[in-house]
Amino acid sequence: MSANTPQYDVVIIGGGVSGNTLAWQLGLAGKKVLILEAGVAVPDSREEYMENFYLALAKTPEAPYPAIAGRKSVKDQTNPKQQDIVQPNPANLATPRATVLGLGGKPDVSYLVQAQGNGTTNPPTDAKGNVRGLQFSSTYERIGGGTSWHWLGTSLRELENDIQMKTKYGVFHDWPVTYTEMQQLWAMAEKAIGVAASTEQQEPLEVVGLKYPPGYQYPMGPIPMSIVDQTVSTGVAGMQVPGMLDDDNSHMYDVFVTPTPQGRNSEPYQERRVCAGNTNCIPICPIQAKWDPTVTLGEALDTGNVTISYQSVAVNIAVEGKSVTRIDYLVWSRDANGKLTSVKKSVTGKLYVLAAHAIENAKLLLMSNNKKGICNSSDQVGRNLMDHVLYLAWALISENDDPIWGYRGPLATSGIESLRDGEFRKHRSSFRMEIGNEGWNFAVGDPYTSTMDFIQGTNVTQLNPTNERLGGLALVQKLNSLLTRQFRIGVMFDQAPLEENRVTLDPTYTDGLGLPRPHIEYGLDPYTMEGFRVAKDVCTKVFQRMGATEFTTTGVGGTGDFTYKGVNYHYYGAGHVMGTHRMGNNPKTSVVDASQRSHDVPNLWIVGSGSFPTVATANPTLTLMALAFKTAKSILSSLGS
Amino acid sequence: MTDTPTPAPEADVQDFADMSAALTGFLSSVLKPQLDPVGLARTYYEFALSQVGAQMSTLLTAYRAIKTQPPQTIADTLLETSSATPSAQALLCQSIVAMWYLGAWYIPGNQGGFGFPPTPLQVISSEAYTNGLVWKVMQSHPMGFSPFTFGYWSQVPGPLSSFGVNTGNGGGQ
Repeated sequence: MSANTPQYDVVIIGGGVSGNTLAWQLGLAGKKVLILEAGVAVPDSREEYMENFYLALAKTPEAPYPAIAGRKSVKDQTNPKQQDIVQPNPANLATPRATVLGLGGKPDVSYLVQAQGNGTTNPPTDAKGNVRGLQFSSTYERIGGGTSWHWLGTSLRELENDIQMKTKYGVFHDWPVTYTEMQQLWAMAEKAIGVAASTEQQEPLEVVGLKYPPGYQYPMGPIPMSIVDQTVSTGVAGMQVPGMLDDDNSHMYDVFVTPTPQGRNSEPYQERRVCAGNTNCIPICPIQAKWDPTVTLGEALDTGNVTISYQSVAVNIAVEGKSVTRIDYLVWSRDANGKLTSVKKSVTGKLYVLAAHAIENAKLLLMSNNKKGICNSSDQVGRNLMDHVLYLAWALISENDDPIWGYRGPLATSGIESLRDGEFRKHRSSFRMEIGNEGWNFAVGDPYTSTMDFIQGTNVTQLNPTNERLGGLALVQKLNSLLTRQFRIGVMFDQAPLEENRVTLDPTYTDGLGLPRPHIEYGLDPYTMEGFRVAKDVCTKVFQRMGATEFTTTGVGGTGDFTYKGVNYHYYGAGHVMGTHRMGNNPKTSVVDASQRSHDVPNLWIVGSGSFPTVATANPTLTLMALAFKTAKSILSSLGS
Repeated sequence: MTDTPTPAPEADVQDFADMSAALTGFLSSVLKPQLDPVGLARTYYEFALSQVGAQMSTLLTAYRAIKTQPPQTIADTLLETSSATPSAQALLCQSIVAMWYLGAWYIPGNQGGFGFPPTPLQVISSEAYTNGLVWKVMQSHPMGFSPFTFGYWSQVPGPLSSFGVNTGNGGGQ
């Protein structure tokens, strides 16, 4: 092999959903592929991760994963103690990442360098009506398989108007793909994942523009609705809400519940088991009934054409002229004393893919070329950072009704999708409403918090206003009565893309390999916040209609707290990180084209939810995988296949 | 890690299990089954002993004095549920209930703060997590450890008594 012959057909940075899907498709076509994965290897058995989860003091999304690289898994520690909950300093880690426990913290615990709440007041509204200085609250993993180890499994398709907001409503951007093409791509992703759903059950959503090609069937039948779903569905029957508040002539929209298409098995598929309702999709499915990217990685490796190199952190995408010429990366390890060491290497390919996660993609693009950046003639790299910012509302079903029986089944099996589209999108963000099957677990940390309230006589949950202390059968009966009546709704918004919501390289803070860490500037605009205002109203009306008592609370001055039109709200991260290298047809306003190919450097594809021009109203994994299938075709075409 | 301690006497473990049954509202035969491959009662007793030492034997002595009382009376007495200022021994009983319910050790009297519940010192073991009683209290299963099969969530669960709760009068011994 001459020195100038590329070592691989394609070098892919990142072994998550997009990277593994591409590796699989390219490997099937006989192409030689290398995946550089920054994090640790996929374990031989998920028992190791389960043990981490069982022993974790806080069952956060990151709890099972040892990607706090260099930290031993809990199992390997001789004496796991409370320090497990203390976040390690990202400055000492090879692959630190954003964690729930690090949110709102200073840079010695929070990998993302960003604003912190002051604990007493919410940030003010600026002249444009935006609230700035907020915290980006979604987190991710840097391990083999990526963040989708802990995706929920929700596999909704986008609506027709989701991808044509500019044309239809005059706001934001259109996606540079047609709905017809997306339908074909979604079908490929649904087959790869194994999505359980029934097109017949989805038919009522034609009112918001959800369309399938005639005769389309999902790979397997639907997941049954939980009793929570059934109860909410009955409760909202016949309900209508206005598209806009403060507008007496506003169009009324139907509120109804539909089962969610889900990437978990209703029958054996890909040699994986059927769902046993472990109620643990996030942080980890114990039996892999839920698809995750390690499934597709296995398929990629089975082609015999794909190699994966773990603990390999890309640090520079070398560009000469308009071409990537090599990837520089650090292979890291820890010696017996825990000291972090790394060796610098380079690798070449005919073509290259950056698939490292929306924030990490932006970071690496900005880091490359001696921190002068690449692929950024549009100045859009790192901008338009978005999430499906999430509003949470929770309630107790009346004691006069049957219990609603939460904490059973997959975490979510149905939602209210009927408010995802309408003329109101000219004025405020639309949203989907996810019905939770985990009681108040997300809301207040139950069943732990209620249990401690009634043992200790405290009232953190608001369920113990008289500070009762109970034991014996009295404790059983009290907790049974409360916990089996809890339910919640999570509302996810079509957050506006804002140029000023952005990822840059922090000038001060570095990770354990000496690499710059992401610096985040983040805020919310009136279009998005008006969506919160409407959603809060809808949730309250749903609870009232059901005869349920609402317990939703908001704080002030903390991570996720903001004020809009005089009312305090709280948002959570949905884990849906999007927009940092958006796609479009115009190289002046977008980073990649419809195939996710860099406008500036055409032998590089930059893939994942970072390419989304808008966040739309469906959870992103299905769509970002669908786009990876489109990218695979584009790469194969470039390779002359 | 400390050196392996001498195993606690079986009679103490049995009394601890019987007392725990009263405190938690469950059947003693659920907390300490005849055939007990997990051995949580012993694990918990020895763990509590390692945390509070002699206070544990004082508590067992107090329990033995009232062990013939109905379970709810035992629970209310030891937890001092009608007292505004529970004693150190009652706070220890709270930690024992929390250990059985949640599989973790909460330092007695530590109530958390700033609107947050207390953080436990330690999850005792993965078996402790998967055998937590609170999941049975809500007729369910530990998150991440389902013994049920596909679709169970669309049906109403079995009654509380089928989850090992002592719903009868007396009994539990």
